[in-house]
Amino acid sequence: MTPVAERFQKALTATSRADVLAALRPRRATALGPLEINRLVAHLRQLGEPPVAVKLVLLRTYTTDLLKTYWPLEGLLNGLDISVYEAPYGVIHEEGGAGTEDAKPDMACFFLRAEDLHPALRDPVSALSDEARATVVDEAVAQLDNILSSFRRASPLALGVVTLLPPMHGPELGQFDAMAGESSGDLRSQLKRRIAKNLREKHAAVLFDDLDELAAEVGRATLFDPRLWFSSRFPWSVAGAQALVRRLVRYATVLKYPRAKVIVLDADNTLWGGIVGEDGPDGIALGPEYPGSAFVAFQRRLLDFQQRGILLAMCSKNNPDDVAEVLRDHPHQLLRESHFAAMRVNWEPKIDNLKSLAKELNLGLDSFVCVDDSPHECFQVKQQLPQVTVVAAPQQPVEIPWTLDDIPSLEILSLTHEDRERTAMYVQERQRKQLATRSTDYGQYLGSLEMEMTVSLDDRRHLQRIVQLTQKTNQFNLTTRRYLETDIERMIEHPDWLVADFSLTDVFGDSGIVGVALVNGLRGTTAEVDTLLMSCRVIGRGAETAFLQTILDECAQRGVQRIRAQYLPTRMNGLVKDYWPRHEFAESDGWFHADLPHRAFSEASAIRVTVVRPTSGGSRAAARASVSSS
Amino acid sequence: MHQIETVKDLMAATFGIESDRIGAQTAQFDIVEWDSVGHLNLMLSLEQTFGVTLDVEQMTQLTSVPAILQYLEAACRPQ
Repeated sequence: MTPVAERFQKALTATSRADVLAALRPRRATALGPLEINRLVAHLRQLGEPPVAVKLVLLRTYTTDLLKTYWPLEGLLNGLDISVYEAPYGVIHEEGGAGTEDAKPDMACFFLRAEDLHPALRDPVSALSDEARATVVDEAVAQLDNILSSFRRASPLALGVVTLLPPMHGPELGQFDAMAGESSGDLRSQLKRRIAKNLREKHAAVLFDDLDELAAEVGRATLFDPRLWFSSRFPWSVAGAQALVRRLVRYATVLKYPRAKVIVLDADNTLWGGIVGEDGPDGIALGPEYPGSAFVAFQRRLLDFQQRGILLAMCSKNNPDDVAEVLRDHPHQLLRESHFAAMRVNWEPKIDNLKSLAKELNLGLDSFVCVDDSPHECFQVKQQLPQVTVVAAPQQPVEIPWTLDDIPSLEILSLTHEDRERTAMYVQERQRKQLATRSTDYGQYLGSLEMEMTVSLDDRRHLQRIVQLTQKTNQFNLTTRRYLETDIERMIEHPDWLVADFSLTDVFGDSGIVGVALVNGLRGTTAEVDTLLMSCRVIGRGAETAFLQTILDECAQRGVQRIRAQYLPTRMNGLVKDYWPRHEFAESDGWFHADLPHRAFSEASAIRVTVVRPTSGGSRAAARASVSSS
Repeated sequence: MHQIETVKDLMAATFGIESDRIGAQTAQFDIVEWDSVGHLNLMLSLEQTFGVTLDVEQMTQLTSVPAILQYLEAACRPQ
C-alpha cells in the first residue's frame, strides 16, 4: 500500500475523531478521492461524537460550487457540521440582498479578486506612478469598506473572512519583478497590507486571509485547474480546493471550540533526540547535525507559537537536574527555563502533572495541547483527560518540526500586546511567588514590588483587549457580561458610559491590560457598575482595591453621588462573592450601594495610580472637559 | 465487468443518490442531480479514480454511462 492509502485505512478503523485526524496527518499533500471522502464522512458520522452546527455564507465573484464536496469532511474532522449557503453568484454588494440576513451565518467568506475592488487592477500596473498606485489602493480599500458595511448591516454577528484570488501567472515583469521598485508584486503587497490595516481599525470581527499563502503552501502550478477556470469560472484544482477548504474551516473551528492556550511538551524524543537520563546532556541529539537539526528546528517552530500568545510548558518523566542542565547549559537548546510558563519534571503520572499544570496556570485542560512521543502516555491522556488535545510526536525526526502545523486550535483570530508578552508575565509571576515566600511581612512584600497602576479611560487603542477580557474572564468577574467590539466601541463614544482599564507594573515587569470596569449612568446622580473584572494573575496585591478606588474617585469627580453594583453568581466566580461588602458597599434588594465620595481604602496604599484620559480632540473629549470643569 | 460498478459508485457518491438509480444506459438528462456542477465533480472523480486526464472537450462529451465506459475502456486499455 502507498503511504496515503495506508493512512486512509487507518483513519477508517480509528475509533475516535481525534484518531481519524491523527491518522490523516500530515494533511499537506493528501488529496483524497471522492469515494474515500464519502467513506470517511460516513465513518465520522457513526463515531457517536455529535458535531457542532456551523453556518457558512459564501459571497463570491467567481464560482465556488465545486467546493461543496469538501466542506462536510473537513468540518466533521474538526467536530463541525457545516451548512453552506452560497449567495447568488456575483452579488457581494447589495444591501442584505445576498440573503445573508435569513441565513444568520456564523461565518461569511468573501471570495474576491483584486480587480473586483478596482478596475485598474485588471490591467498592467508596473508603469503606474506612485501617486496613481496610492489612489488605486485607497479606492480599492474604500470599495471593500462598502462591501463590508452592507454585509455587517445584514449579519451583525458573523465572522467575516475576506480573500483575494491569488494571481494565476507569475508577476508582470517576470523574474525581474522583485528587482523593480514599482511592480505588480509590490502593488499587491501594498494592497494586502492596507486591507489588513483597514480591517483591524474599522471592521470588528472581519479578517483578511491571505490566499497567496495558500499558493505558497500548495504551489501555483498545483493550486489552479485552468480547465475548470476557463470553462466554469472555478479556479481551484482538487488539491487546491481541499487545501482552501481546510484553511477556511480552521476559522470555524476556532469560533466553535476552545482555543489552545498551552502547549505541554515532553522532553526526551520530543524536544531533543534520545533520553537525557541515559545518554547524558552531551549525548542527546540536538544541534547542527542530523537528527539533532530536526529537533532544533522544532524548538524554533515552538517559539512561533509563543508569539501567538500560546504558553509553553514542560511535562517530562526525568530527573529534574538532568533537564535543568540541558535547559541551562546545552549550546543548541533554544528553549530555556524562561520560555516555559510552568514545568513538571518528575516521576509522577502524566495525568496528575497535567492537572496540576492546569491549576498553576489557571487554565482549563480543554486549552491544553499535549505533545509526547510515547504512544503509551498519549493513550493514557486521551483516555483519562479527553478534553486535552493529544498530539503524537512523529517517529521520523524530519517530520518533527511540523508536528503542530495542522492543529486548528493553535490559530488565532486576534493578537494583542498582552498575547505577545504572556509567557514573560507567567515567568514574572513565578518570581513574585518566590519573593513572597522569602518575605516575612506581607505589607513589606507588597512595598518591595514597587507597583504602579495605569488606569486608562475610554481608550480606543485598548478596544480589542477589553473585548477579549470581557469574553474570557470567568473567575474575577462580578457580572460576567460578554461584549463585542461594537458594544465597547459604542460605550466609549457614549457620554453616559465610562470604559476603564488598567495595567500594572512592578519590579518584575509589566502585566499589560488586566482589568476592565464598565460604568453606566455617568450623567445622572446614580451610576451603575455594569462590569468589573480582572485577570486572576494580579489578584492579591491590592490591585482590585486600587482600581475600584480610582473608578469611584472618577465618578465622584464627574458629579455622581451614588454607585450601585451587582454580583451575579456563576459556576466560576465564587471568588468575588464578597467583593462589594469588603469594599463597604451596603446590600439591599440584591444590589450593593455606596455613597460618593468614598473614603480612601488603605489596602490600595502600596500601589501608585496614574489616570490617563483620552487626548484626541474629538467632541467626546470636549464634552468630558466641560464636565470635569463644572 | 467491475468498471461499471465503480462508475456507478462514483456517480452515486458524487450526486448523493442511490446507485440503483443508475443503469448501463443512464444519461445526464435521466438524473436531476446530474447538473453542471455535479457533472464537473463526476469528471474530477473519474480522473482521480482511474488516473486519467480529461480535456475540456472530453468533459463536455462524457454525459452518459455508455460514453464514460467507452472512454475508460479506450484510455485504460493495457498498451
